Amino acid sequence: MKLGVVDFLDERLDVRRIAREFAEHRVPDHVNWLYCFGGITFLCFMVQVATGILLAFYYQPTTASAYTSVLHISDDLPFGVILRSLHAWTANIMIIMVIVHMLRVFFHGAYRPPRELNWVTGVLLFFMTVTFGFSGYLLPMNQLSYWATKVGSEIAGAMPFVGQYIQNFMLGGAKISDPTLTRFYAIHVVILPVVLSAFLAAHFYMIRKQGIADPL
Amino acid sequence: MSPENEQHSDHGEGGVPFLPDHFVKELAVITLIMGVLIFLATLMPAPVGLPADPLKTPAGIKPEWYFLSVYQILKYVPKNVGIAWSFLIFPPILIIFPFFYRQYTRFKYGRLILHTLGALGVLFAVFLAFLAYLGFE
Repeated sequence: MKLGVVDFLDERLDVRRIAREFAEHRVPDHVNWLYCFGGITFLCFMVQVATGILLAFYYQPTTASAYTSVLHISDDLPFGVILRSLHAWTANIMIIMVIVHMLRVFFHGAYRPPRELNWVTGVLLFFMTVTFGFSGYLLPMNQLSYWATKVGSEIAGAMPFVGQYIQNFMLGGAKISDPTLTRFYAIHVVILPVVLSAFLAAHFYMIRKQGIADPL
Repeated sequence: MSPENEQHSDHGEGGVPFLPDHFVKELAVITLIMGVLIFLATLMPAPVGLPADPLKTPAGIKPEWYFLSVYQILKYVPKNVGIAWSFLIFPPILIIFPFFYRQYTRFKYGRLILHTLGALGVLFAVFLAFLAYLGFE
């Protein structure tokens, strides 16, 4: 009796049907290169996950050792400088790609019914991506990190009514110190990756369910 | 369903199959982007910079480029107005406007007006970011 791995999985998980649906689904003729920015954003996210995990092996989120651990990654680790630079460059490219993707969807009117909910998840994904950038910017604890976070937290602190609470929550106290760093680190490497992945799943599910919008 | 309400446009007869026709193009784009990223990271590595010093404010500090337009507008309007607009008013508008699609397309140029406003908003944001980049007060 011949029983291959595919047969085994097919009997239990129906993998042939799923694979066929994936491989054979039609991509509409009007899809051109303008439609690739969302996919590129996802590619950037995967690069960030891979390089971010490797960086997390060496990075130390304390005010005393954050900067020196980043120096260590850049100067001593084999390919460390490329790893860190990939993470920094990809972060910027990812934000550019999200913005271009949003502009494409907006001017094609692809947000229109029945795709309003996917627009909502997309806007939230954009805000999460920017928060990723803001939280990651502090982690190396260099001059730019410190002062950008100071300016950013002061802007949040000037928000009407809720400003002071938000600023205190952001910094974990009155000024940038160890609680700030551990907080930003937790947001950057635990909370945002999990939440963003969940929203990405919803985003992709809705694209498969609703299809790509027809041109206006 | 009305044409505006079409679904499953990728299940019909038109278009090309995802595999291999479309997938090959995706591979090409993936390769191109990975090439660009590795090119940038290798030839223009990110500087580590100087260690944080709370007592020494560097000259001309600016937020990251994607916050520049918000940063710049706060110089021209009262701070709480600018912040309320940027964080409390604009984001909800951005999130919910598609739900009113049928209302504003009832007007002849509803969508055109919306998209023109969007384009002007984007141009204004880019302009503000550029001013901030140049260090205008």
